[in-house]
Amino acid sequence: MSRERLAELLDAAVKLELATIPPYLCALYSLQPEHNREASLVLRSVVVEEMLHMVLAANVLNAIGGRPSVAGPENAPRFPHELPDGVVLDLLPFSPRALDAFLCVENPQYRAASSADPSAGTPTQPPTSRSGPHPSVALNVTAGPTTIGAFYDEIIDLLEAVTRDVGEAALFCGDPGRQITGELYYAGGGAPVVVTDLVSATVALREVIDQGEGEISSPYDADGDLAHYYRFEQLKHDRAYLRSDRMGTPTGPPVGVDFAAVYPMIPNPRPADLADPELIAAAERADRLWSRVLLQIDAAFDGSPATLVDAVQTMFRLRDAMLVLLANPLPGSTGLHAGPTFDWAPPEPSAATGTRARP
Amino acid sequence: MIFPSGVNRRIDHRTASQTVYDAVVVGAGISGAIIAKELGRAGRRVLVLEAGAGEDHSLASYERYLERFYATADKDNQSPYPPNPNAQIPRTTDTHRMSPGQPDSSAYLVRNGPFASDTTYTRVLGGTTMHWEGKTPRMLPSDFRLHSVHGVGRDWPLSYDDLQPYYARAEREIGVSGDVEQQSFLGARFEPGYVFPMQELPLSYLDRTVARGIDGTTVDLDGTPIELRVRAFPQGRNGIPNPAYDHGRGYVPVGAVSTTQIEEGERCQGNNNCVPLCPVQAKYNAGKTLAAAVESERVHILTQTVASRVLIDSVTGHVSGIEVKAYDDPHTPRYTTWTMRGEIYVLAANAIENPRLMLASGLSTTSGLVGRNLMDHAYLLNWALLPTIAGTYRGTNCTGGIADLRDGGFRRRQAAFAVDIHNDGWTWAVGSPGRDLRHMVDDENLFGRDLRAALADRLPRQLLLACMIEVPPDESNRVTVDPGYTDPMGNLRPVLSFTVPEYTMRGAAYARQLSRQIFQRLGAADHTRYEPSDPAYVSYEDQGYVIRGGNHLAGTHLMGTAPQNSVVDDTQRCWDHDNLYLVGGGSMPTIGTSNVTLTIAAMCFRTAKRIVRALTARAATPA
Repeated sequence: MSRERLAELLDAAVKLELATIPPYLCALYSLQPEHNREASLVLRSVVVEEMLHMVLAANVLNAIGGRPSVAGPENAPRFPHELPDGVVLDLLPFSPRALDAFLCVENPQYRAASSADPSAGTPTQPPTSRSGPHPSVALNVTAGPTTIGAFYDEIIDLLEAVTRDVGEAALFCGDPGRQITGELYYAGGGAPVVVTDLVSATVALREVIDQGEGEISSPYDADGDLAHYYRFEQLKHDRAYLRSDRMGTPTGPPVGVDFAAVYPMIPNPRPADLADPELIAAAERADRLWSRVLLQIDAAFDGSPATLVDAVQTMFRLRDAMLVLLANPLPGSTGLHAGPTFDWAPPEPSAATGTRARP
Repeated sequence: MIFPSGVNRRIDHRTASQTVYDAVVVGAGISGAIIAKELGRAGRRVLVLEAGAGEDHSLASYERYLERFYATADKDNQSPYPPNPNAQIPRTTDTHRMSPGQPDSSAYLVRNGPFASDTTYTRVLGGTTMHWEGKTPRMLPSDFRLHSVHGVGRDWPLSYDDLQPYYARAEREIGVSGDVEQQSFLGARFEPGYVFPMQELPLSYLDRTVARGIDGTTVDLDGTPIELRVRAFPQGRNGIPNPAYDHGRGYVPVGAVSTTQIEEGERCQGNNNCVPLCPVQAKYNAGKTLAAAVESERVHILTQTVASRVLIDSVTGHVSGIEVKAYDDPHTPRYTTWTMRGEIYVLAANAIENPRLMLASGLSTTSGLVGRNLMDHAYLLNWALLPTIAGTYRGTNCTGGIADLRDGGFRRRQAAFAVDIHNDGWTWAVGSPGRDLRHMVDDENLFGRDLRAALADRLPRQLLLACMIEVPPDESNRVTVDPGYTDPMGNLRPVLSFTVPEYTMRGAAYARQLSRQIFQRLGAADHTRYEPSDPAYVSYEDQGYVIRGGNHLAGTHLMGTAPQNSVVDDTQRCWDHDNLYLVGGGSMPTIGTSNVTLTIAAMCFRTAKRIVRALTARAATPA
């Protein structure tokens, strides 16, 4: 029972980390060239870190003989997407509202409070979607609303309990060949932890939590750099933190946030919003590429780790496809631009790389 | 990789001039950076003088280079770097057709002819590694014994085996991606069990298309059949780290250099503008080594500080100081003059600026060879249109090529060469893809859907073979100075005299013939045209060629076995001045068919070790 529960929670963790990626990508690619450099750096570094978190959770799940699933209509995240802490992830262009949501995502102690609570992180927002948010799998498998920190704590506690119960070797029975290793994870910094036992599993999950918690307890990391949460705050206030500042009120020089130098993407784009056949085709292309990314990650998590490298190539193509949408205004709207729907769409079988015949 | 904010203001000129450093280093490119890093780690105090504009090596300054590159219409290999009249950067666009007997002094580099090379180098923090392409082949063992083996050029006072451990050290510093088995040919050998820090970057689809056509082809050269194949080049850019590196300890790629750690840097993603600047800092630049150097508080950097004279103690013959001109504004020739002092002096300003500074200081040496034997690789470009789409314009500038003609008995008669397959199409040859677009619009009257189709049809079929041809040392190819040619601050400008040697042109003629053969095998239509109006047009045996420079500058203070035959000894120490080291490509007696940076880096690691030993010995001996 407990082992099944662990697998269920870890699979939910993989999907939770995955769901944070499209909102960050929308904000990142909505930035017009040569503006908002600081915002672009913060968003890029955070989205890469979320990808690492997903890999870490998948490594733990694989180590206990599980099977992380991220492809298919039943596994791909849908937007707006509600996390177990009550944060609703919308697909938004870079905006004050998107920043408020990111600040909640980056705070593992955050929990949506009742409107009576004056310390609530986000002011009440009008709904951005015409239907309610899609619940995260993590929301379904937890007993009730919980912080992301508590969600991971439960997993670590359970790993320890099951290890005591059945023994470490019996729990960590996964094929080591299914682990995503440092060679494959595509970033200059940060590396996945290969999970083979309780210690490495705990290290992996602690990294997921600590990249949040550490940042909340101290604004500066070991290198003396401002942590992501506080960098988002700098963007929110368009002010740099000075060493002497109280947290929450940066008083330094502007960091160069320009909300006007952003493609004004329609919130949570739906195919029906796009209105134009060319835009609809571009959105379908983006959906197919996103689905292809998910299929490749899914294969990488299911015994073919090297497929992750192919997924990176597809991510570049997804970026280009997203930019086509974001740079184009919606016909008949009052200045809103198109955007990706991040819907599941089975990739065309013939859309393989670079081998298409010359017209 | 952190470059601490404000490092360039660790010290001011006045305080620096009142300090006696262990070493004063002129130039903050890869050579100066390696010397500074190694000496700093050995606990030594180092002052690095950089002529170029002075900003921290921050992400913001890097991004400004990028934005400048993106915005400029003329994307030559210096386009990201702003003009700086006080430390001028030669550009390929400076080159003009020469009139016989008339020096061209219209740009910083004065061309004395007869050949007008399009030589460039970059005068900023990080030096020319900011714009380099990043190929890192080692020299072949026979390249070090060119005269003994083939009766041509000179021998090195060093063997491949002497340099081999330092090659490994340089490959770690630069972060080389490559495969030992692929690189073990023509006598190249590696320490048993050695692997490169990172796995080989994969061949591009274009490389593989060419390989399908020519792998296994045999050419007969000098009576010896030589089999050709496409193989990957080792590269100074981040790929997949090799877990077997360093006896299983692995390798951690060095990411972006920044004053903050918000940007980690990325692995190579094939942006195809390695030259003039990698947008994601996957390509090594010497800023990475500088950032490591300034981890030592004892390493100081002064930018906007142009070395103008090397001062010699007339009694001992030792260098007693470096006179510098420090400017505040690149566009105003207003400066202050200071003298910087150290126990040891290292000129690391490149194979043109090093001899320029020596000669401007009135320093000749016993051999009289300072400034002579200027070398660079001669590039012959060949371009053709393939019959089917080959994915050109994807991948780094160059991933693979043909290296089988880098050595052989034929070198008695003609130059060796390597062939680069260019993933950036005809860019280097004719300025594609902009030129193709203009041609299709202006000459073919294409627009709309037809224009898009024509671009998609033709650009990915472009094939450019760049033959990198050996140039042997020749004393008449040289850098001099002339009081008639000065820059705005009164520093003497370099004057270049160059003739492409016949030995090289014989190699070029063969390379042209081989390229045509390769095009035939691939069914590709040859579009190569060498225009007589091109400044770099060279006639040889009734045929015309255009020879481009590779900016692999070398030879101008070459190393040898005695003061009579060379400027420096095998540790790059100047024979005539005990505490002076001239480091970099200038020390190389021959360049073979290897891009020079890796060899320069290896030599500098070896020299740094020698300098640390010399400083220790000095401290032990009372003056």
